[in-house]
Amino acid sequence: MLLSSLATALLAPLDTLGRFGRFGARVLALLPSKAWSLRETTTHAGTLTGRCLIPVCATIFPFGAVIGVQGMAIFDLFSAHRLLSSLLSLVIIRELAPVLAAVLVAAQGGASFAAELGAMRIKEELDATAVMGVDPIGWHVVPRVLAMTLVVPLLTTLANAMGVLGGYVVAVGMYDQDHGVFVHHMAQLVGMYDLMASAGKGAVFGLLVGLISTFRGYHASGGAEGVGQAVNDTVVYSVMFILVVNYQMSSLLFGGAGG
Amino acid sequence: MSAVLNGVRKVGAYTYFAGACMRSAFTHGVPWDRVVSESYKVGVRSFPVLFTMALFVGSNLAIQGYAAFSTLGAGSLVGMFVALAGVREVCPLLAATMVAAKAGTEMAAQLAVMRTKEQIDAIEVMAIDPRSELVVPSIIAVMITLPALTVFTIFVSLVSAMAVAVLQLGVDQGEFLSFLVGYLSAYDLFAATLKSVVFGAIIATVSGYFGFYSERGARGVGEATNRAVVTMCIVIITLNFALTSLLYG
Repeated sequence: MLLSSLATALLAPLDTLGRFGRFGARVLALLPSKAWSLRETTTHAGTLTGRCLIPVCATIFPFGAVIGVQGMAIFDLFSAHRLLSSLLSLVIIRELAPVLAAVLVAAQGGASFAAELGAMRIKEELDATAVMGVDPIGWHVVPRVLAMTLVVPLLTTLANAMGVLGGYVVAVGMYDQDHGVFVHHMAQLVGMYDLMASAGKGAVFGLLVGLISTFRGYHASGGAEGVGQAVNDTVVYSVMFILVVNYQMSSLLFGGAGG
Repeated sequence: MSAVLNGVRKVGAYTYFAGACMRSAFTHGVPWDRVVSESYKVGVRSFPVLFTMALFVGSNLAIQGYAAFSTLGAGSLVGMFVALAGVREVCPLLAATMVAAKAGTEMAAQLAVMRTKEQIDAIEVMAIDPRSELVVPSIIAVMITLPALTVFTIFVSLVSAMAVAVLQLGVDQGEFLSFLVGYLSAYDLFAATLKSVVFGAIIATVSGYFGFYSERGARGVGEATNRAVVTMCIVIITLNFALTSLLYG
């Protein structure tokens, strides 16, 4: 009895993972076909950008500012204030901007995708689409996933600039660091490769968030509670997978020993 | 202009809601048995997720800290970096974000469903203040459990950072520990706990507000949950900057 309930508890996540994999494969298999429309994709990308722009900027800016405050305190110990901007841009571009942009897009855009699709599922709109001979995954899901994959790298690039700007405002505005010193050391440890890697991370996170949110919304069940549960699951799983995948991607892109 | 006014109106409505919750806690008393069950839900349910995330965040901190300091030829300073960045900023934020994402959205969705099913109205009709019954216990529960979860997150991420630094990056264990303990003070732990109490109050009141005043119907529930998460993230991170400037500035 205990053994069988333990087996169920262990197998349920595996079952979900398997269904998620099949869902993702179906979405990707539809990419070369004509089941999805480009116009839907650009519409979703437009609304997504509009809704996520302010949240992303409003979180990464204070984050950069906090690094400015703490970094000034730490580098005071070595009287090496000039290092602040190099480390700030390193941390923002390599780690914080992609992760934070993806988390915010998951909270804002992913959650609303899950809510939309969940409500459609509850109201049997998805079934109606299928009855009309239109593949609901091709029509409703693929454009959303594509939009997410396109928008997160763009927002990541913007977040790079906003984060460094947050540090700049603190260092130059509050702690009277020289403008030239800040700007000169800013690009010392990072280059074009890091910017590309940052956007690449963003694209992978975007694909992940897009798939998780549409999967949760598409398979929502059980009325209004089901929609709330789908939104909740989307945010939790997105944040978790972003952080886990981030570790792997950091090791892959920037070397195992962090070089 | 109307967008700005609307924003101001919402802040006012939120403040009124939070104030009404506080008042009902004093006038109606607090249902302590519900506080205990809510604390159990918030604390224990967030535990496994938080544990996993703390592991990865700690190891990431070690890798990035090592990358930054090894360019200065001071790779062993990674202990200091992990201690200061992890304890002061990352762990309180991580625990708060995770509790916001899990317990906060759950709370918002639950209240929105009750609003949809007119259960909140039913409670009101029975002359019971729905805030004191539904919202106040969660506020107290999150304010108690979040500091505990933060301390737990700090412990797990420091251990995983040390494991990565010593086993993967080849930093000497004694050096790592001496830098870690040398730069960490009781004040840092106190500040992290204080931050998380404030974050806890914000999480519970914001998710309560959005759930309590949600639109009816499936779409309303989804939207309330969605708005609650985004607002919590923005407010927590902005507030973190203010608290850091206040505590360390």
